[in-house]
Amino acid sequence: MKAAKLAIPSLVALAVFMVALPFGLKLHQQDFMISLLVWVLVVSSYRLMALTGEYSLVHVVLMGAGAYGSALLAKLAGFSVWLAMPCGALVAAGIAALLSFPLFRMSGFYFLIGSFAAGEAIRLSWTYFTVPFGGPKGIKLIPSPELTLPGLGPIPFFEPIPYYYLTLIIVGISLFILYRLENSRIGLIMNAIHWRAPLAESVGVDTWRYRALAFVIASFFAGLAGALFCHYYGTANPAQFDVAAMVYVLIWVIVGGVSRFAGPIVGVVVLSVLNELFREAEQWRPLIYGCILIAAMFYLPDGLVGLPGRIRAWLDGRRGVAAAETGEAAEEPADLASPRRR
Amino acid sequence: MEIILQTCVNALVASAFFALMAVGLVLIFGVMGIINFAHGELYMVGAYLVWYFYASLRWPFLVAVLAAFLIVTVIGLLMERTLFRPMRDNPLGGLINSIGLLFILQVLAVQVGGVGLMKNVPPAYRGSLELLPGVAIGNQRLVALVIAAALLVCIWYFLTRTKVGWALRAVAQDRDAAALQGINIDRISMLAMGLGAGMAGMAGALIAPLTRVEPYMGHGVIITAFIVTIVGGIGSLSGAVLAAVLYAFFHTFVTTYWNGTIATMLGLLIMLVVLIVKPTGIMGTRVSE
Amino acid sequence: MGITRRDLLTATAGTAVLGSTVIPRIGLGATKTLKIGFLAPLTGEVSAWGLPGLYGCEVLVKNINAAGGVQIGEDTYTLEIASFDDEYLPDKALQGFKKIVSEEGAKFVMMLGGDPWPGVQRFANQSKMLATTLLPSDLSPDTPYLLAPCEVHPIYNVTGVEYLARNFPDAKRAVICAQNDSLGIPSVATYEAAFEAAGIEVVDVNIFDPATTDFAPLVTSLMAKKPDIFCYDTAYADFVNLIAQQLHIQGYKGLQISCTCDNYPQIVEKTSKEFMEGFIFQFPDFDDPKLNEPFINFPEPNKFFADYNAAHPGTWTAVSWEYPSIVLQWIAGAKLAGSVEPMQVLEAMKSKPSWPHIFGEADWWGQDLWGINNALVGKWPVVVIRDGKATIAEFGDIPAWWAKNKDVLIKRMRERNQMWDQRA
Repeated sequence: MKAAKLAIPSLVALAVFMVALPFGLKLHQQDFMISLLVWVLVVSSYRLMALTGEYSLVHVVLMGAGAYGSALLAKLAGFSVWLAMPCGALVAAGIAALLSFPLFRMSGFYFLIGSFAAGEAIRLSWTYFTVPFGGPKGIKLIPSPELTLPGLGPIPFFEPIPYYYLTLIIVGISLFILYRLENSRIGLIMNAIHWRAPLAESVGVDTWRYRALAFVIASFFAGLAGALFCHYYGTANPAQFDVAAMVYVLIWVIVGGVSRFAGPIVGVVVLSVLNELFREAEQWRPLIYGCILIAAMFYLPDGLVGLPGRIRAWLDGRRGVAAAETGEAAEEPADLASPRRR
Repeated sequence: MEIILQTCVNALVASAFFALMAVGLVLIFGVMGIINFAHGELYMVGAYLVWYFYASLRWPFLVAVLAAFLIVTVIGLLMERTLFRPMRDNPLGGLINSIGLLFILQVLAVQVGGVGLMKNVPPAYRGSLELLPGVAIGNQRLVALVIAAALLVCIWYFLTRTKVGWALRAVAQDRDAAALQGINIDRISMLAMGLGAGMAGMAGALIAPLTRVEPYMGHGVIITAFIVTIVGGIGSLSGAVLAAVLYAFFHTFVTTYWNGTIATMLGLLIMLVVLIVKPTGIMGTRVSE
Repeated sequence: MGITRRDLLTATAGTAVLGSTVIPRIGLGATKTLKIGFLAPLTGEVSAWGLPGLYGCEVLVKNINAAGGVQIGEDTYTLEIASFDDEYLPDKALQGFKKIVSEEGAKFVMMLGGDPWPGVQRFANQSKMLATTLLPSDLSPDTPYLLAPCEVHPIYNVTGVEYLARNFPDAKRAVICAQNDSLGIPSVATYEAAFEAAGIEVVDVNIFDPATTDFAPLVTSLMAKKPDIFCYDTAYADFVNLIAQQLHIQGYKGLQISCTCDNYPQIVEKTSKEFMEGFIFQFPDFDDPKLNEPFINFPEPNKFFADYNAAHPGTWTAVSWEYPSIVLQWIAGAKLAGSVEPMQVLEAMKSKPSWPHIFGEADWWGQDLWGINNALVGKWPVVVIRDGKATIAEFGDIPAWWAKNKDVLIKRMRERNQMWDQRA
């Protein structure tokens, strides 16, 4: 609980920084920040799922389901974007709820592959059924939200800065909900399912229900992220939500470190910024990514987020203190969920 | 009638390649518990090596294929030693490392061969064999089919009739018990990885003159290999072979009579159904603990 | 070739100064750097449609700069390419577009178009930035500043069919195969219209997944329809390569027509000269002597081809010359406008009903298909393989075909949901 004292001032500082940030950025970097915020929501929601010990490969496709759902509701059904976005998220959650019946009959490796198959089948159907999904070109000219504030006139949400603040607010609230959820009774049970599934079952916890719950909630926020994405860029197509995108999400989550709430966020921020810095390297970029990934597996088994703890432990060790305490990262078992373990 | 027979011939060739890929994947997963995401890239490397040795350096085709097989086997051994062995207690770590390697191999392929059009690998065996009027198999495909089948038979013989093969299967069944029996797990893991990689390399090498040789060619193949592996039962070698044949026939017939996208979509759904109804696959016996 | 452009410019300026007390305007402006935006996939699976184009532009720009740059208005400019990898994703494309325009200060942006364009459209309109695409299916009344000045895919495919029908009047049954994407489908509609106009029946259309690796089943299925004509549609060059091999193995003997046939020597090598004899497609080799005709608007195409192959061997495709030809068209526009400002260049280019296209004068066109006249349509070569070598058989006239068969094409486009008002 020692972190709690620090938490409030540093959160306020972070909020001030995030609010001021776009004014210090170039035009294209403002867009980059919008994308980054959206991906932050994707990886954070993914972590909720991972808390129960399951790694899914359908998350990005469900993000796409949110994008498609919201875009179609806004374009074809004439929904206001403000209504379409949460409805798109509900579409993603609904698909996840349906998928949870077959998928949670499996676990570990089988779940991983099963979710992958389900995701690819959904994505191929977007490609194949031109009506209403638009085929390989997807959906274009998706409207952006409209809001007229008294005294300010209509807010131009197609501009990066207003949309950045909109995204910041929605992602901020979502992260808060996810964080509270994790520290609630439900979150503790989810964690218990991960580490002590048989024990949890023996005390009467319906593990299927909680796994499915985590999956549905995570998918809701992934869908919301997809909706946020498509109403800014104005387009959604199947290629945006393919396996490659899913692999990147997995990398961000794991390199960042899944053991703590901030881990995936740190992962996506650090790696995306690095990726932009390496833009000059053009074709070498994926290779740099690959090397970072492998290096992280070897040297940062608890992720980037465990780095301060490791450094501290190393310093303590140098000072001759017995290095039993490896910082907060050691509160939970350091190695990642193992599909084989079950 | 001709179409049905021709489609059967097409499917037979496809089954041999699906089987080579799937058996390798199963070997690796069975022994090490790691999903090798870079399996498609090993296939790609096999194809690139044939392009380099055969099409560029003008080595005889079969020599080039053998060289590709050996080199990819060595890559597999190195992968086991450097990427997978340190992650033995953490299968997710192995998976992530293989994804890292996937990126690295793709970039190296781009650097070696550039992007743009596919690498040109002319067929070593021209012409075709007319089995019946209107039913033909290209000689290059015939050779590939024969070699692939022969390799599969060798692997089967090795696994069921030799002592080392027996040990390998023992490890796949129960690693701890096998270790207690005095089987050297490290050596068996390297063997499995080398063989699995070699088979992927061989598949790529044989198919090089028949397909698009380009840096991202492994992508589509790995999806097929997953489907076959799951349907066959993740730990079962005979299941993988049977599933490869069934899936190849299914996919080829649906593609011929309906549509390729539908074929893949249905394949994925079948895999999902198998996962739900019988997660151990059609031939699997092991329960997922 | 004794006099280079630089010599010519200095000579003109020198004589003028000596011969007159009035200081001439030519050649005395500052030498500036002019950035040209290049926004296309440079990594990943679609990079084959971007990277060779970047190489081509680099070769062209190097040659232009070596000759002293470009004179526009009062200033002389050396050219520089500002490139950005959009990874074929709309969000990356928007970031790249903004970077190229607002930070690098490029005056126009060449794009591949397709999936990434919708991400860019709104910003391009707002910032009034001139952009170009290789895929005219991006055009609509909402894209006033987007031009398709070089490739008007797939409309030019009608010229190949017209040539085929004229030379092989007995061929009456055609099959079409196409990959399911934004290149394949509009092209299917075009071929269907062209065959219909020529009185040829299309007996089967097979639309396949771009992830297909084995083409044996597809070829078996199409050959069962006993076609006289096998149409590859706008299959990717690699697909043409593999499908042709399969056709050869399965014993196909009829006519073949395709949009592209890049690297056809490989296909000839893999099949046979006899099999490929008479293969019709739409993209000439740049060492073709017919490209030296006076109406061709591309300086020394044969030398460009040689320079390119020396710099980037084995990477030449159609986009290798398409992006450079767009650079040349833009330069012509800027010279006419006397300015590099996007809207002035656009206005100058659109101020005339026709504009020099690489294959001769072409009309601004497209109202009926895309709701805006922002595509250049004129002549397009019909290329035929003879004795293993692609040769330009004729330059087909697209506007003439259109005048006769407009309704058929619009009907077919509508059937395939390809009209601009049908696109979601």
